[in-house]
Amino acid sequence: MVAYGTLVVSILATSLPLTMPILYASIGEIYAERSGVLNMGVEGVMSLSAFVSLWTTFSTGSYLYGLLAGMAVGAAMGALHSFATVRIGINQLIAGLMIYFLALYIGDFSYVIVTKTTYLHVSAISPVHIPILSGLPVVGPILFSQNVLVYASFAIAILLGLVLYRTTWGLKIRAVGENPEAADSAGINVNLVRNLCVILGATLAGLAGASLVLGYLGFYATGDTLVAGRGWIAIVVVIFARWSPYKAIVGAWLFGLGYSVAAIFIGSGLFSSLGPASGYFLLAIPYIFAIIFILVFHRGTKSPSSLTVPYKRK
Amino acid sequence: MMQVSLEKFLSYLLGIVASLALFSVILLAFGYNPLTSMEGLVSGSFGTTFLASETFFLVGPLLLAALAFLVAFKARFYNIGVEGQLYIGALFGYLAAAQLSSFPGVVAIPLTLLAGAAGGTLWLALPLFMRIKFQVNELFPTLVMNFIALDVVNWATAGPLKDPLSGNLQTRALPQSTWLPTLINNTEFNVGVIIAGVAAFAVYFVLYKTVLGYEIRASGASPRAAQSGGINVSRSVLAVGLMSGALAGLAGIVVVAGVDHVLAQNFSPGYGYQGIAVAALGSFHPLGIVIASVLYAALTIGGESLQRSAAAIPIELIYALQAITVLSVLIVQKWISDRTGRRR
Repeated sequence: MVAYGTLVVSILATSLPLTMPILYASIGEIYAERSGVLNMGVEGVMSLSAFVSLWTTFSTGSYLYGLLAGMAVGAAMGALHSFATVRIGINQLIAGLMIYFLALYIGDFSYVIVTKTTYLHVSAISPVHIPILSGLPVVGPILFSQNVLVYASFAIAILLGLVLYRTTWGLKIRAVGENPEAADSAGINVNLVRNLCVILGATLAGLAGASLVLGYLGFYATGDTLVAGRGWIAIVVVIFARWSPYKAIVGAWLFGLGYSVAAIFIGSGLFSSLGPASGYFLLAIPYIFAIIFILVFHRGTKSPSSLTVPYKRK
Repeated sequence: MMQVSLEKFLSYLLGIVASLALFSVILLAFGYNPLTSMEGLVSGSFGTTFLASETFFLVGPLLLAALAFLVAFKARFYNIGVEGQLYIGALFGYLAAAQLSSFPGVVAIPLTLLAGAAGGTLWLALPLFMRIKFQVNELFPTLVMNFIALDVVNWATAGPLKDPLSGNLQTRALPQSTWLPTLINNTEFNVGVIIAGVAAFAVYFVLYKTVLGYEIRASGASPRAAQSGGINVSRSVLAVGLMSGALAGLAGIVVVAGVDHVLAQNFSPGYGYQGIAVAALGSFHPLGIVIASVLYAALTIGGESLQRSAAAIPIELIYALQAITVLSVLIVQKWISDRTGRRR
């Protein structure tokens, strides 16, 4: 069964680049939610930053500028969200959804304007084949022949996990999310921590969008067909991971695997014998995964106590 | 009937003005003329009978979707799955309508609408069950089921239900007896908007004039206090869930039976999500969102006219404006109410 062996390897190898954007976005959302702020705008922020980074890289030829531009526009959206929800204190769910619309349509609008004259596309960042290790059978193509953004996503997850659990910054963030009154009396500036966490979270969502387009797709598409639910999935991963960046690696990978199975099966035409429309069921796989996840893993999940509650000093 | 203080009204207007100012700046930045654009928005949404009929048609699904979100929101049940429930409602409505070709309209239309409402409720059943039985937060189940619903309808319209004679991914036409009657001939202005208006008053009545409505609002304002006051919060959540799903399903079927007359892939441009914006723009009051849905529909149809006009402003900019409007209204209102609250 050689054919099935290569199929499994290609599914696993494709699962990692598909994990990457979900992982970046979910780590960002973990930071925002740990500080007590829900940001439902991730999907839109990813879309906007995907366009901005693609356009920047296309015009300048630099992947680095593209990444930075994507992160900057993410940070700007995060600043808007934290102004609305932390400084002013409007409903976080509604604000997040409006950020989703705003970012998505600014991106689409700019794309429509830009593509009047040019077709925007770049070639995805090429993979780094790690010497010796990438030559190993099975493991080589899966783990050691990915591009630098894939490696970085796992490194950042671990790094931000260490920051959250092993540093005083992390302690402050968790304190602000669990018990803002106590954190305030201990001299922590609650709303400053929240602003910073929301902006950091949105910056990572920006990186997620940039990595999707520069590290995998190489093009943009309007109407949320590009990010295609990965931002929403990232928020589901946060629950699955119980607000831990380490567990987010596993959660994001399981969804990356779901997307990879769908992509490879549709590409291979294995299911075409079941009728021309069967592909739609494969596309539903990640979402059915998500529902089962929520059903199975909801027990014992406890969100940060002050999530969605604005803090006003008495 | 509505208790709106002058202060609340003024802060609302201020929010609208702020968003228009912001919008003018954006238009100028992209080299469009703000004044003619705004004029184009108004004439493009109400300028002719046909455009006005399009605007009023659009009020139907928007208002129903907003009511679906609102009624659940009042009990602090965040149903962000209206979009999916709307698609499944449309699917169920279509399946029922296809069997009703031999019946007269008086029978066929109510049954089609009922099937639509049932489909919407059914699609909310799992998240509702998870919330009531296992205390699972409904945000994510309702959201994720939107995508599954879309895949189900995409599959049905590309596979078993596809009209073999059509090049588009859509079903055969609904039997004519199930089409919603139009109010003005040769326009899109049909009974759907009347159904939505009646639904708005029904939701208002239930929420503000009945014991159940009182319990719903108490459950939403403070679940713990309501519980210790002897109110069954789970019962409130179940009640709003059933109403919310039904309203969402209706939003889907009034489009299919009202204007499209087929079930087509991606027939909804996101009515379910736009409904959340409309509910916020209407200050989460059933009668406030009647006005908000007209405003929102006018912006959309006016925006489409602008895109077709000489200025050719892409519709995406208008969609962004809608989000800006909701955000600035909410921000300005909250800012002012905090300030005046502190002075007292």
